[in-house]
Amino acid sequence: MKITKYVVMVGILLCVFMPFNVMAAKPVVIGLQGPITGPWAYEGQMAKQSCEIAAQLINQKGGILGGRMIEVRVVDDAGEPKTGALAAQKLVGQKDVVASVSTYGSSVCEPASNIYEKYKKVNIGYGVTAVRLTQRNFKYFFRTCGRDDSQGKFFADAVPAKFSAKKIAIMHDNTAFGKGLAEDTKRALKSMIDAGKVQIVYYDAITPGEKDFHVPLTNLRETKPDVWYFTGYYAEAALLISQARDIGITCPFVGGNAAINDEFVKIAGLNIAKGCYMTNEPLPGDLPYPEAKEFLKAYKDKYGEIPSSPWPIYAADALNIIAYAVDKTGSTKSSVLANYLRDKVNGVPGITGPIGFTKLGDREGVPFYLYVVNDEGKIVISQ
Amino acid sequence: MEVFLEQLINGLTIGSFYALIALGYSMVYGILKLINFAHGDFFALGSYIGYTVLVFGSAFITSHFGLWGGMIAAMLVAAFCVAFVGVVVERAAYRPIYPAGRLPAVVSALGASIFIQNTIMVIWGPRYQAYPASLIPNIHIQLGNIHITLLQIVILVLSFFLLGILYWVIQKTTFGAAIRATALDKDTASLMGINFNRVIFFIFTLGPALGAMTGVMVGMYYRQISFTMGWNYGLKAFTATILGGIGNLPGAMFGGLILGVLEMFGAAYISAAWKDVFVFLILILVLIFRPTGLFGEKVAEKV
Repeated sequence: MKITKYVVMVGILLCVFMPFNVMAAKPVVIGLQGPITGPWAYEGQMAKQSCEIAAQLINQKGGILGGRMIEVRVVDDAGEPKTGALAAQKLVGQKDVVASVSTYGSSVCEPASNIYEKYKKVNIGYGVTAVRLTQRNFKYFFRTCGRDDSQGKFFADAVPAKFSAKKIAIMHDNTAFGKGLAEDTKRALKSMIDAGKVQIVYYDAITPGEKDFHVPLTNLRETKPDVWYFTGYYAEAALLISQARDIGITCPFVGGNAAINDEFVKIAGLNIAKGCYMTNEPLPGDLPYPEAKEFLKAYKDKYGEIPSSPWPIYAADALNIIAYAVDKTGSTKSSVLANYLRDKVNGVPGITGPIGFTKLGDREGVPFYLYVVNDEGKIVISQ
Repeated sequence: MEVFLEQLINGLTIGSFYALIALGYSMVYGILKLINFAHGDFFALGSYIGYTVLVFGSAFITSHFGLWGGMIAAMLVAAFCVAFVGVVVERAAYRPIYPAGRLPAVVSALGASIFIQNTIMVIWGPRYQAYPASLIPNIHIQLGNIHITLLQIVILVLSFFLLGILYWVIQKTTFGAAIRATALDKDTASLMGINFNRVIFFIFTLGPALGAMTGVMVGMYYRQISFTMGWNYGLKAFTATILGGIGNLPGAMFGGLILGVLEMFGAAYISAAWKDVFVFLILILVLIFRPTGLFGEKVAEKV
């Protein structure tokens, strides 16, 4: 009888303590808020795959904090500001989520980061380039991507000279990102305009989600620009360029860094897409860093091809830097992580190059290139 | 002047899309007094089926039919498939609840709309799909300073042809007379020996088929389709129906064309961002002065 009693007691004790054992090895959960469905689903899916590969690479090397694995928890924001706020609510409501990689679109990030800030959760944007996002003195918001004004400045330095363009048309799509980039470009061009070297002959917005752009394009055609800069997303960019060529606009098309990807080429068709330019961060395949090679190899092994746009790898780097900060500080406390990222992270090797943050939470030093769609429909650095 | 003409052609192109979709709304409303909210999704479904035909039959189409033949083939296949879906939806979602009255039927129509939309998403995925550019005839025409494409003209001609055929069927044939009689008074029409169920079968094949063909044309014209596209076009077509006078078929045709042209001119001469405001302002004005719509006298007569 006594033995059975001990067995029962040991059993009960085991039952009580088992959960604690499990808890000791429980994974570090990092959230990913991205447009898994909706108009930017293509980008969202690649970001999800990238984060999962990044986590897999860390886990294969033994995880962080002496053996804890990284788990990615994905929440869909459908690329809509309203859904984005709900997605952020969902993630901050889960106690085990340490920090969040959030999100692709600037207009979605704006309300979402408000919520992360309110509930004190570190959130790192990976495709959010609108300048004002880091002008709000938020403590918990960072981004691994660049800012629109760095891109606007690059446009002003490189593009008019390349096409010997005097008359420039700028078209945006009224989203936080598109309008921001257009305004920054205008600002960057100001000194050249004042010197009488160039002029902006067209500056207007289109409505995203529309399919028919014949009217704004006709207006643009009548101003006879030498080069046309569109700061918006690929879904509209592909329709715009098709319809523009239909109504006889022949000037070079330069897209912002969200305008051209494989989908753009597919929708517009190779005949129209080839020779379209874009200002862009270096694409994944053009990155020289060893971390990039390792990451892309793992990505390609699993999915057959490397990501076709630059943004997903910024998501992977956001995840990496969160994991790095948790590992180095030994803490999952938001304020500790935020302070560490802001003050101590500097030149940490990442897939997209050395990672460091400014006091505002911006990424330090992001290079830009002029890319072009070549005759095979591949997007390559323009010579 | 050239820009004006160009915008007029662009407006007529979209207008003919609206008109073809509006006909489906108007026919169903005329007979059943039901606003068939699923109609926009029939249109989207047609667009996706046409896309599938073009993508999977691309080799066959280019070698046997040529590009224009491919377009016609895609339109016919889409029309047949969606006509079938239309009949099934009527049997499954509408017929069982006719006795319950008009409001439950409208709710059921909304349900059917959501169902079709999500089915499209599950089958073809949430991403934008692109009509293969290599399978779409792409010939530019430049008359003076007017830039249009041959596809636009073909779409216009085809739409007017379809509108003409439908007009002929409804106004000149015996069966069309049966439809009009049913629309005027269902019970008396049955007493005169008109098979009510056959009339319903007919409108639920013809309406969705027209919608599906429009879907293929829209896919060809814009090249980019999404599973939510049915809602927008459905709403615009519904507006066109009201503008022309709901239940009145020539009214739906003209309502669609007028709406398309108004939209283009609103965007061109007022502001692109305000074009919908402009369109709906006109709609409100028309409804204030002619509550039955522009061509709505016949509806008023029967009430």
